[in-house]
Amino acid sequence: MLRVFLNIFLAFFCCNFIFASDSSDPIFFPKAEIVNEHTTRIPFKLIDHLIVVEAELLDKKGDFIIDTGSETLILNKVHFPSNYIKKRKDTETAGILQRIDNPIERHLKELTLKDFSLKNKSSDVIDLSHIEKAKNMKLLGIIGYSILKDYEVFVDLYLNQITLTKIDTQGNKLDKKVYAEKIVDSIDFRLKNHTIIINCTVNDQKLKFALDTAAEFNQINKNSDKEVLKYFIPKKQLNLVGAGNRKIKVMAGKLHRVKLSETIYFGPMLTVLTNLNKMNEAFGTDLDGVLGYEFFAQKRTIINYKKEKLYFINYPYKKQ
Amino acid sequence: MKQLILHSIYLFIALLSFQIIAQNNEMKGYRIEGDEIVFTFNKEDYNEVSHDGFGDRKRFDDLTIENVVVAGQFNNWSKDKWQMKKIDADNYELRKKISDFNDEFSWEFKFVINNEYWAEPTRKDPNIVGAIKDGSYLNVYNLKLLTGAYPDKNGNVRFRLKGHKEAKKVILSGTFNRWNEKTFKMYRIENGWEIILRLKPDEYQYRFIVDGNWMEDPTNPDKVENEFGEYNSHINVKERVTFHLNGYKNAEKVILTGTFNNWDENEYRMEKTEKGWTYSLVLSGGKHHYKFIVDNNWVSDPDNSVKEYDGKGNINSVCMVK
Repeated sequence: MLRVFLNIFLAFFCCNFIFASDSSDPIFFPKAEIVNEHTTRIPFKLIDHLIVVEAELLDKKGDFIIDTGSETLILNKVHFPSNYIKKRKDTETAGILQRIDNPIERHLKELTLKDFSLKNKSSDVIDLSHIEKAKNMKLLGIIGYSILKDYEVFVDLYLNQITLTKIDTQGNKLDKKVYAEKIVDSIDFRLKNHTIIINCTVNDQKLKFALDTAAEFNQINKNSDKEVLKYFIPKKQLNLVGAGNRKIKVMAGKLHRVKLSETIYFGPMLTVLTNLNKMNEAFGTDLDGVLGYEFFAQKRTIINYKKEKLYFINYPYKKQ
Repeated sequence: MKQLILHSIYLFIALLSFQIIAQNNEMKGYRIEGDEIVFTFNKEDYNEVSHDGFGDRKRFDDLTIENVVVAGQFNNWSKDKWQMKKIDADNYELRKKISDFNDEFSWEFKFVINNEYWAEPTRKDPNIVGAIKDGSYLNVYNLKLLTGAYPDKNGNVRFRLKGHKEAKKVILSGTFNRWNEKTFKMYRIENGWEIILRLKPDEYQYRFIVDGNWMEDPTNPDKVENEFGEYNSHINVKERVTFHLNGYKNAEKVILTGTFNNWDENEYRMEKTEKGWTYSLVLSGGKHHYKFIVDNNWVSDPDNSVKEYDGKGNINSVCMVK
């Protein structure tokens, strides 16, 4: 076995809450709140529209982006350079917003969230300096699907926290008392590779959208049906920088009348008009768009990858 | 972790009573009034105008103003859509709801005279940014609208640096503006330099830049080591929150308790009102669990839908300060 395993702890500060293995190189989430052995809440901050958690790894303090659009755990090469490089990967790692060429793969022997272990998790080491520069932040990496999939993940933009609770192979929560608030609605999604795909309608036209916590803007494909684009009201031009450091100019506006079901619908969402053909190629998908920050800003959303279901909790009516 | 943050101080201050020495603490081109952004154009603030395409700049005095328009990223740089209202001979204004700007993180804009000429900001203006079109610099500046942290003479946090009278320029830079080294220019006061910001409740780190040299705040003992082996000053901006419990009019004693006082069962005795009970206190930014103790019975807040389990399976009400 030629593989040199890299042991990385993803552990929580001062409470033994471990997200990792038995190495001396833990990732700490210093602000995490350990509810019990199955559940933890990690507060996040927003950097522009990115959901970012503070962490410490290998004596470095910085941020990780929570990204359902990313397949793996990505470490930033700027902070975790070549001494852990295992081999060049032949394949391309792809995120919803970006395509990244030739990542260098690391291997995590075991990732443990307290009593649970996620064995043989791979991580990619990629230069993310352009995101650091664009956002003026210290970015240690990106936490993606390979970490998130074994938990039920509550992305709460009201309490600015992400709740991770361990699930079994059927997707049932091991902790029965996770949410004290009422789940008001739910919807099925389909998992295509690591991508959450939800069916919805705009002006009664059926569409497929990816759900991506790290998409700062919703996106809708330029090639969408006219009946759909009628409800995209352009407002201004924006310059976007993707993780691949490619600058693109896009038309931004509001997308109206997005409905997930008869009971779940959205107010106008800031959306950009883009060409999604490349992304569809990369994932073998047939997406009409991407729902990101604006989705979570309107719905407090719980993601269960195993059950392929989203659950929703209401925003409070009364501000305390 | 909160316990580990030593010497956390708070600067929740009612600034209305402060005498602010008349200096320009405002961003150029707009001011924020309540929930409105007021774009402001004063003829005296501009010396030059430019024209699309080639050609020299014109002096402003050579122009007769027929109209002034706000053009920016928010309206795709339209030279005729957002026409301003004439206030007097030199001043124009346009009011917009601040909520229309919250879904974007930076907005660049400029003023257009007679639907044709761009009023050029100068290098001295605090909120300028190099204008870029199709990927190349245009050699002019745009103005930038800041809706996160911003200078406001009625703001909630006052930063002061004593001395340094000989300095030419002092900048406040911090996590509130992602360590921007230009935007928050401090102004001179009698014994030094000052700036007042409007900041949301949260913890922030900051430093002063005195003529290019970075330094911590010498009067703030609360500081954290940074990656350069130096110190950043630290503040915890708090906010006053009033808790209400409706009903329970026959109760004798109602206590407010929560994570903010380590669940003390005596400290915060609520006051009786017409509708029920109330208590007001100053809280740090972030999430706080709380409950009421009504004559020794613990109850959660019936009017707050936001609740969480604690580690023992009890349900607490949750108050989010942000």
